[in-house]
Amino acid sequence: MIRREEPRIGVYICHCGINISYKVDVEEVVDFASKLEHVVVARDYKFMCSNIGQELIINDIKEYGLNRVVVASCSPRMHEKTFRNACKKAGLNPYLFQMASIRELVSWVTEDEREATEKAKDYVEAAVRRVAKHQPLEPRIVDINPNVLVIGGGIAGMQAALEIAEGGKTVYLVEREPSIGGHMAKFDKTFPTLDCAACILTPKMVSVGQHENIKLFTYSEVEEVSGYIGNFDVKIKKKPRYVLEDKCTGCSECIKGCPVTLPNEFEYGMMDRTAIYRSFPQAVPNVFVIDKEGFSPCRNACPAGLNAHGYVKLVSVGKYEEAFKLIMERVIFPASLGRACPAFCEEECTRCLAGGHVQIRALKRFVADWYYENVGVKLPVELPDVQKDKRVAVVGAGPAGLACAYYLAIQGYPVTVYEALEKPGGMLRYAIPEYRLPNQLVDKEIELIKQAGVEIVCNTPVGEGGKSIDELFGEGYKAVFLAIGAHRDRTMGIPGEDLRGIYTSIGFLRRVNRGEKVELGDKVFVVGGGNSAVDAARVALRLGSKEVTILYRRSRVEMPAFPEEVEAAEEEGVKLQILTNPVAFHGEDGKLSEVECVRMELGEPDESGRRRPIPIEGSNFKVPADSVILAIGQAPESSVFKQEGLEINRDGTLWVDPETLATNREGVFAGGDATKGPSTIVEAIGLGRRAAEYIRRYVEGEDLRAKPYEEHWLETVDKEEVLRRRRYTVSPPTSLVKRPSHERIKDFKEVEATLSEEAALAEAKRCLDCAGCCECRQCELLCEAQAIDHHMKEEIVEVKVGSIIVATGFKTFDPTPLIQYGYKRYPEVYTSIEFERINNAAGPTEGQIRMKDGRVPERVAIIHCVGSRDENTNRYCSRVCCMYSMKFAHLVREKTGAEVFEFYIDIRAPGKMYEEFYNRLQEEGTHFIRGKVAEVTDVAMSPEEEGRLIVVAEDTLAGKVRRIPVDMVILSVGLQAADGAEEVAHLVGISQDQDGWFIELHPKLAPVSTASDGVFIAGCCQGPKDIPDTVSQASGAAAEALSLIMRGQVEVEAATSYIDPEVCVGCQQCKRICMYSAIDYDPARGVCVVNEAICKGCGLCAATCPNKAVTTKHFNNVEIFSELEGILL
Amino acid sequence: MKVEEERMKNERETEGVFEPKIVGFLCYWCSYTAADLAGVSRMKYPPNLRVMRVMCSSRVDPVFIIKALLDGADGVLVAGCHPGDCHYQKGNYYARRKIALTKRLLESLGLEPERVRLSWIAASEGPRFAEVAKEFTERIRQLGPNPAKGALFL
Repeated sequence: MIRREEPRIGVYICHCGINISYKVDVEEVVDFASKLEHVVVARDYKFMCSNIGQELIINDIKEYGLNRVVVASCSPRMHEKTFRNACKKAGLNPYLFQMASIRELVSWVTEDEREATEKAKDYVEAAVRRVAKHQPLEPRIVDINPNVLVIGGGIAGMQAALEIAEGGKTVYLVEREPSIGGHMAKFDKTFPTLDCAACILTPKMVSVGQHENIKLFTYSEVEEVSGYIGNFDVKIKKKPRYVLEDKCTGCSECIKGCPVTLPNEFEYGMMDRTAIYRSFPQAVPNVFVIDKEGFSPCRNACPAGLNAHGYVKLVSVGKYEEAFKLIMERVIFPASLGRACPAFCEEECTRCLAGGHVQIRALKRFVADWYYENVGVKLPVELPDVQKDKRVAVVGAGPAGLACAYYLAIQGYPVTVYEALEKPGGMLRYAIPEYRLPNQLVDKEIELIKQAGVEIVCNTPVGEGGKSIDELFGEGYKAVFLAIGAHRDRTMGIPGEDLRGIYTSIGFLRRVNRGEKVELGDKVFVVGGGNSAVDAARVALRLGSKEVTILYRRSRVEMPAFPEEVEAAEEEGVKLQILTNPVAFHGEDGKLSEVECVRMELGEPDESGRRRPIPIEGSNFKVPADSVILAIGQAPESSVFKQEGLEINRDGTLWVDPETLATNREGVFAGGDATKGPSTIVEAIGLGRRAAEYIRRYVEGEDLRAKPYEEHWLETVDKEEVLRRRRYTVSPPTSLVKRPSHERIKDFKEVEATLSEEAALAEAKRCLDCAGCCECRQCELLCEAQAIDHHMKEEIVEVKVGSIIVATGFKTFDPTPLIQYGYKRYPEVYTSIEFERINNAAGPTEGQIRMKDGRVPERVAIIHCVGSRDENTNRYCSRVCCMYSMKFAHLVREKTGAEVFEFYIDIRAPGKMYEEFYNRLQEEGTHFIRGKVAEVTDVAMSPEEEGRLIVVAEDTLAGKVRRIPVDMVILSVGLQAADGAEEVAHLVGISQDQDGWFIELHPKLAPVSTASDGVFIAGCCQGPKDIPDTVSQASGAAAEALSLIMRGQVEVEAATSYIDPEVCVGCQQCKRICMYSAIDYDPARGVCVVNEAICKGCGLCAATCPNKAVTTKHFNNVEIFSELEGILL
Repeated sequence: MKVEEERMKNERETEGVFEPKIVGFLCYWCSYTAADLAGVSRMKYPPNLRVMRVMCSSRVDPVFIIKALLDGADGVLVAGCHPGDCHYQKGNYYARRKIALTKRLLESLGLEPERVRLSWIAASEGPRFAEVAKEFTERIRQLGPNPAKGALFL
């Protein structure tokens, strides 16, 4: 070790003009400092930061052989670098310097001069004691990566990117909107020259888009920034555009097919757009984008994943055949589902919060009925030319089995369906009564499946009394799908169940559906609370029974039947007796005569979550009965499959892997009620389709789990967010036409009617387009370039850059909370940015200044300082509003000849030709009224105010309140920090001021630099400014970035952590807490080691190390203790 | 101790006003910047607070606080970026734990844990910095002199 030489310290006290000396007795401090230990020389000077001041230090270092320097002046944030450099010039290691802040921390904040002087002395002593312990450090030199990241593609970002790209360096320009251009792209004219914004902007946009050195990332966001000056690692998230940028030609054919209507945010909702869109015709890149915010709630609510949003929208534009095709992609039996589906989608419909759900089920029924009537029973897809050779057997021709068969068949697989009963259809045919679903419709829907090439073999059971699975494999089938349903009725196991007059629901419904005559008698009881109980009861009425009662052991809320079915049954006269359960059936001559029941009460909830019914002792009673129908549940006929090696669950269902639907036996899959127990048609179809996919993977020898079943799936959108962003009026659903109950119980004809075309169109238009894009894929059909990819996924691109320019701009103030101005209450009150669009030739009115009713305004008021210079909103001046307001005044007069009234507080026109523009406006006859507007009202007080908006303000020059009737009001809204500014600040490590603007390193001398080395800011993200200032700043930031690149190398802070291997015990606590993974454990030596290239010098490890093996250079314990002692002792 | 200051202090103490000495450890990115902003905005606050710069509030080793209290500080302020705003990602969360621990330690030593205060002060919160300095000085003034001052139990 080198012997440490004795410290020789020079102390320099700065007057900072009078900034320090007006409070601090500088001479006294110098005197005090000169007496401190190791101090060789102490001096004061007016401006230490000046050249002369610095020379003073340099000369003293040489003359007195100083080896330590203390300067007491301003904040180290201001001049630490300056004085370090001075030391360096004199050959002294810059880290042997310490600064004492006696301006920001003393003279400016202390009232009393004596106290200020004492405080300054403390800080000087602390600095002297500290610097005595300083050690020389060698700054690390790192190479600068010449690439630059620019965040934000407005005029600032574009300008900076172009400057750097022209300089021959690569720029990554990231813009979160689909096009670059920013706010400037929305303007029509610019002040004060009134040149056309588009004419000066669009050529720049094109240059950015075409420049070989600019890598443009639109519709993208910076996700992560790590590293340090010269060496940043950046992750850019490319949001899925769903349109391939390299293929889209921008022809805009696609929008013709899109049925979705959304508010156009580029036009501030004053126009609508389709889900596939381009912000504006000159967009760069000139590529469309699909607004897909997720999946609609209805779509994700469907167990079969049916895209309800898609077909509802297709109905809304009259594309019924397309709607049918879309439905058949996910489900079969659309007409049946349109009648008997419980419609989980409707429960989730966002419209439930705005008047009631869209009648999704009824719309599906309309589509299916329309298709069968107008197109016929015709397969909606084309079958592949070549049939595959791998055959699949399906057992059971219910919804699950036929769905599996259909979706395999349309892919070319030969499928045979074996059905035990005489006709296919399963529960659709045999359990759902005719009045809900006519069998002749089921026949039509099965015809479609046959057209797909599915062979259905009836009267051929597999399992119980029929073929075995082994035989099926023996016949050459590569896979078997068991969809045997749940046809075995459960019984109660109570006395008298074998009496005549006691039926089970499935058996009973099957007989009725087959057309058999069943004599029930007058008094019928149905036991159970499920859908088949309700069906049985309603069928019993239609068979002529006089009194039909449902006995249910729990209360009404626990009934598993669909509430609307229960209601319909009650309407028809079915009685409901809850909390009642039969305990025995009594009969005469083997024929039922009485039912003995017991009353129940509800106890604690059981495993199903419903409260357990408990019989009340002694409450037994008997009632006379002609028939009883037991509808207490069904189970699959599964016992026979146990012998074939299949695993059976305790409830009798077949065991399957819930994802792949594979049973425990190779090549055998199962689904539907057979695995789930009695459920719904739509669930069964969903499982059938799922089975088709996994069977396909199985027979093709693919890994079943290589990818999920739903490869394309998105999260459900947030309903509140949908309601916030869409325009809608609360409206009730179209009511469905039903036959009156007294009439409908006389026969088995359908209860509900299909919607008329007009009703269907109107109902479909109620859809709120929750997801944005509905994935009807009409755009795909229209795109000749084949540029559309609905399954596109988010992509992360990683790039390396040496510097970052942040140019994220602003947002305009939302005046809605300032109710006195009437924004959103009166249609003729606009914000300035809305007016920019109205005035723009490409805007909603094609540049014609018109009121909403089409009239030309005769009088227009422009209200300044809305959301600026106001304690209640923003205190700052937004700097551009006066000028753009006057631009508006000129344009309004020019285009309409209207009288314009400008209500202002002060006119701010500082800029080249700005004041002249103001003068011109005054000469043109614009009325300038000095006074803050109190309110905008439509309450007229005189005939000339009638039918107009009245702007009420105190004219502070005339000294009276004025009421100015006008036709149109423009609110000159201020500028605010952009949404997401906070996230950007975090990403790149810069700070925001109290208003959210990014803080520059120095307001005068480093206006585009930040406290994070290598990160620069430009444009309105730093504060409100006009276009010329923005462009100048952008060029400045580009110059800073280029200057950095040209240096090639840069010194980075040497104050990193160091671990003394002699002291480290290898506990690795430091390694665990290091946020930058800068600490590695060296197992060979059993110690931790700091990677100084990554270390940022926060010092957390030093504070954490239990035995102080870690030191943070320049902030080590000895230095900090010495500083403390200087302050305290 | 410096003679002049001692004299002034004695004078005030004879008037019945206790002038505490308070040390503040400020993180460079947020709270030190806020202190600078308070200065630039010419906000006045009591001179009792002497601040020291650390790069991150997580650098403040409990040892620093104990050392300060033993060397005569009547109170110790630690200030860092707001939760979620740390320049070093989450150093301030570690600082929060360390301060909580230190307070318990002080309690077990018979010292009022209120002598240590942790505040989140963002770079833009100059007024808040001045406010914290005022409040904390007042609080320590109420608590009276630090009894551990000069106690030789280390």
